[in-house]
Amino acid sequence: MSSESGNAVAFVNRFRTYVDRGNPIRNMDPIVVFIVLAAIAIAPIAFPGFVAAAIVCLIYPVIALFAGVAREFLPTYLKLFLVVGLVLFVLRAAFIDGEDPLFRLGNIAPTWAGVEEGARFALLVMAISGAVTLFFNLATVRYLMLALELRGVTPRATYVILASFQSIIDLGRHARTVLEAQQSRGIETQGNIIVRARAFFPILAPVFLAAINQTEERAVSLDARAFNSNVPHTHLVMLRPTRPRELVVAVLVVATVLAAFIGSAVGWF
Amino acid sequence: MVLAALRGVSFTYAYTNEPALRDINLTLEEGLLYAVIGPNASGKSTLCALLRGIVPLFHEGELTGTAEIRGRNLLEWDPAELSREIGYVFENPFTQISGIKETVFEEIALGLENLGMPPEEVIDRVEQVVEQLELGALVAKNPNELSGGQRQKVAFASIIAMDADVIVIDEPTSQLDPESSDAVFAIIANLKKSGKSIVLVEHKMDLVAQYADRVIALNGGRLVIEGPTSEVFTSPLLNASDIARPAVTELAEALVHVGRPLSRTPVTRAEAAELIRARMKGGSRADRSR
Amino acid sequence: MPIVLDEVAFDYPDGTPAVESVSLRVEDGERVAIVGQNGAGKTTTVKLMNGLLKPKSGAVMVDGESTANRTTAMMAQTVGYVFQNPDDQIFTSSVQSELEYMPKYLRWEEERRDERVARAVALCGLEQHLETNPNDLPIAIRKFIAIGAILVGECRYVILDEPTAGLDVPGLRLLNSLINHLQSEGIAVVTITHDMRFVTESFDRVVAMANGSVVADGPCEEVFADDDVLKRARIRRPEVAQLVRDLGIPTTALRLDDIVHNIP
Repeated sequence: MSSESGNAVAFVNRFRTYVDRGNPIRNMDPIVVFIVLAAIAIAPIAFPGFVAAAIVCLIYPVIALFAGVAREFLPTYLKLFLVVGLVLFVLRAAFIDGEDPLFRLGNIAPTWAGVEEGARFALLVMAISGAVTLFFNLATVRYLMLALELRGVTPRATYVILASFQSIIDLGRHARTVLEAQQSRGIETQGNIIVRARAFFPILAPVFLAAINQTEERAVSLDARAFNSNVPHTHLVMLRPTRPRELVVAVLVVATVLAAFIGSAVGWF
Repeated sequence: MVLAALRGVSFTYAYTNEPALRDINLTLEEGLLYAVIGPNASGKSTLCALLRGIVPLFHEGELTGTAEIRGRNLLEWDPAELSREIGYVFENPFTQISGIKETVFEEIALGLENLGMPPEEVIDRVEQVVEQLELGALVAKNPNELSGGQRQKVAFASIIAMDADVIVIDEPTSQLDPESSDAVFAIIANLKKSGKSIVLVEHKMDLVAQYADRVIALNGGRLVIEGPTSEVFTSPLLNASDIARPAVTELAEALVHVGRPLSRTPVTRAEAAELIRARMKGGSRADRSR
Repeated sequence: MPIVLDEVAFDYPDGTPAVESVSLRVEDGERVAIVGQNGAGKTTTVKLMNGLLKPKSGAVMVDGESTANRTTAMMAQTVGYVFQNPDDQIFTSSVQSELEYMPKYLRWEEERRDERVARAVALCGLEQHLETNPNDLPIAIRKFIAIGAILVGECRYVILDEPTAGLDVPGLRLLNSLINHLQSEGIAVVTITHDMRFVTESFDRVVAMANGSVVADGPCEEVFADDDVLKRARIRRPEVAQLVRDLGIPTTALRLDDIVHNIP
């Protein structure tokens, strides 16, 4: 009992101080994290070939390591590499025509140019998806939205984004319930593609009907929570103020990437 | 003070033909616990929505007659102000969780943040409500992962936290087991004791009889009867409208049918026990004297 | 042939036990109510009965055959399950087409289909609503549409999850007569409910659950007489049964119509 109330006090106390996610990188302003990762992700586009993209793809694990999220980040990123990256590479590399094929396999005759082009394309995509993955490991959308709200973005906008993320989860969960409900009335959902296709409508219809029917009620219940009140909202969760050195890092990274793009435009590379 | 005065109020939702409320004349006093009862589609939820201005402001339709809320015409209220004065707990627990908060504690705090309350006060207020509703075990949980019954309690707590003078509650116990239902009613009784006005839709008549000061019975959008709880439940008008009554009231009526009526019709179990006990004592005295 | 749960255990996805060593038998034509607090394992138990969940250990046998190798859809013609929220099951644009969906899906002959649909319509009181879009009807009628859509099938066990929630007096009356009719046809009805008056008026047997286990299983009169069981399962007697108990009147009667004769 006493330990339970002790836990409750500890829980409540976390709202009395800045959010501490236990690591300097993860404690960075989520907007700064977002800007830095976005800049890094698009930087390789400015460079020809695949080396720049490959370097960027190697930067992420390093950041993840320092941020203490390597365990979450690496397996996901490796999976992405193996599934998406490899497929993109093979498709591009195999079907780009050119002189001097490396080898022939029926109609497929990959060339060195194709391999280069495939690697560049696949790595560019991986640079962007790596940034997205890493962002979700470093910061949360919730804190990003809070940071934006503190800088003047309206609560309506941040609500739409946050609620959309949640509604994807909710729709999935409701679909599972409906799936069970329809199985219980004899609609088969396991088996060949035709059997599954017949189950499509009975499962999707109730899910979407419910979603539509609930929209209005959601809006009214949000209003009942004074969402539309005309006083400025306060925030229970306190984000750490942005440190000057975070800003310096952000400015440096953005400036470098900008320079790379300008350089590429004027033909340095 | 008068909470609401409805004179000749009818309301028809847009895109429907049948009015949801027909010619309602009703005065609600502040500081009381009103229960709204009636069969399906009798207009219970629409009446509640009207008190809070949800009809006709959110759900469009045609409103005739005049509705005054706290001395001011409903249509003259600033919607934001009205929503602050009248708290509203909806029936469906799944549409009331905001979906944007990480823990139950923050979910309950949302309304207070929106009202611009300083964080330290928000924390105190939420802690108070959590204790009052015994939600301690839930505070750290993700509100989006809760069961229907748990969500219902959190939605209720979120509105209680905002401390409106008037609270309208649409079926607060529909997803709850008997023990939790009793607990919710005990909290509602406490709110009333602290001076709140409460309007409640509820199907569990035994609980209504025990807790409500007055009952508003609707059928087919019309007012059947409004009055003190025991008066309404013993009225012949209810039976004619197929509206459920407390079990002990039905028992008393069955006793009338078998020719052994009680001295008056009870609406609560305590009342029924008292009446029957008096008769049992009287009966045994009569036996002895014989 | 019965539904038999033999020492069944099932865990929630997070690994915590939902039910532990539950043994239960539902015979033809029985009326069984499963009661207990939210989270006691009631829903898990009925989902095991129609194969939506497969036991982690122990066995569930329906008509002598294990549920382990059958899909729920295959079993739906034996065990019908009406969900608490009718909107999870209803999806077509008229009551008629909703009721005809299963027969058409299974490609029944027209005669058989019409006969089963007519029966469901009569049992669920849907005569006046056949052409209506279910979305335009109140929740109470939608509940009966969902029940009807299950009864069109030829199941011999029907599971009703919280059927009284949202029903008014006429709806309750219809539900009671529906359950009596099913019993007269030898169909077993299993319900999950918090409504103890409904339990005592429409069911013969109560299974009280708490923390994933069965704490009592027997005739209503027996289970509701046991204060210890009521306390453990955190359930209540129906209001009038509690009244006669408070008064010390010696009777095990639970239904209002019976209790009337026990009041001095």
